[in-house]
Amino acid sequence: MAKSQVKAQSSFEYMLIVALTFAIIIPATYLFYSYSKDSSQEITDAQITKLGRNIVDSAEKIYYSGLGSKTIADLNVPDGVISAVIIDGKELVFNVSSNIGISEVVFFSSVNMTASPQYCTANVCSLPGLSSPGLKKVKIEVLVKDSVNIDTL
Amino acid sequence: MKKSQAALEFLSTYAWAFVVIAITLGALYYSGIFDFSKYLPQKCTFPLQFKCLDFSLSPGTVRVKLINNLGEDIKVNQISITNDATVAIACTSPITPFDWAHSAEKDIEFTSCSGGGYISGERVDLRVQMAYHAVNTPSKPSHTINGRINGKVTG
Repeated sequence: MAKSQVKAQSSFEYMLIVALTFAIIIPATYLFYSYSKDSSQEITDAQITKLGRNIVDSAEKIYYSGLGSKTIADLNVPDGVISAVIIDGKELVFNVSSNIGISEVVFFSSVNMTASPQYCTANVCSLPGLSSPGLKKVKIEVLVKDSVNIDTL
Repeated sequence: MKKSQAALEFLSTYAWAFVVIAITLGALYYSGIFDFSKYLPQKCTFPLQFKCLDFSLSPGTVRVKLINNLGEDIKVNQISITNDATVAIACTSPITPFDWAHSAEKDIEFTSCSGGGYISGERVDLRVQMAYHAVNTPSKPSHTINGRINGKVTG
C-alpha cells in the first residue's frame, strides 16, 4: 500500500473516532443536563416544603407553650425564593421563581402568625429575612397573647 | 500559474466538502435527528402541594390528575394551559370556579386543544397555570401555581 494511502486511512479513522465521540457526548450531555435541571427543581420544591412546614409547626408548638415562649430555628432558604409574606396571620406564602414561572407555595397555620410591626401593612406582613437564599436563623416567639412573631436574626 | 491553479482547486474541493457537510447536517436537523428531548421521559411536574398523579395527552384533549396536598379546602378561580410555540396551544379550560377539598384528587381536563404543535405523535411541552384561594382565609388572597407537562401526544 502506498504511503499516502496509509496516511489517508489513518486520518479517516481518526475523524471517525472523533465524530463517534461527539455523537455520544453531545446527546449524553443534553440528557444529563435536562435530568439535573428537573431534579434541582424537585429539590428546591422539597426544601421549600420543609422550610414552610418547619416554621408553621414551630409556630404552633410555641403558641401552645404560652406567652414568652420562643425558639430559634436554623433554616435553609433555597435558591429561587423571591419573597416571603404572612397573609391574614394564617397563610405563610413563599414566592418561588422557577423555569416555568413564579409560583406561590402556601402553608396554612392554625395559630395566628405575625412579623415585626414595621414589616406589616394591613393584613400582610413581609419577612425580608426569608426573601433571599441561604442559611437563616429564624426566631419564633410568643410576644403577645394570640399571635406568634416570626423574625430572622 | 500551475501553483495558483493547484491552490484554487484545493480550496474549491474543500468548499464543496463544506457545502456537502452543511447540507447533510441541515437535512438531519430538519428531520429531527438532533432533537434529543424526545429521548427524555414523559413528565408532569407540579409543586408538591398539588402533586401530579397522572396525565394523558390525546388528540384534542389534555388530562391531568392532581391532588390537593395543601391541607386546606380551596376554590380554583382560574386554570389555563399554554406553551412556548409561536402560536400557543388553545384549549377549552375546565369550568371555574370549582371547589377542591383537601387531600382530594381532581381530574382536570382541557378539551378542544389545537395549535401550538399539539399534533398526534409529536412531543409537546405544556405549561398549566392555576389560581386559587383558600376558603377559610378571611381575605381570600389569590395564589398562583405553575405546572409543566412534557409528553407525547398519543392516540
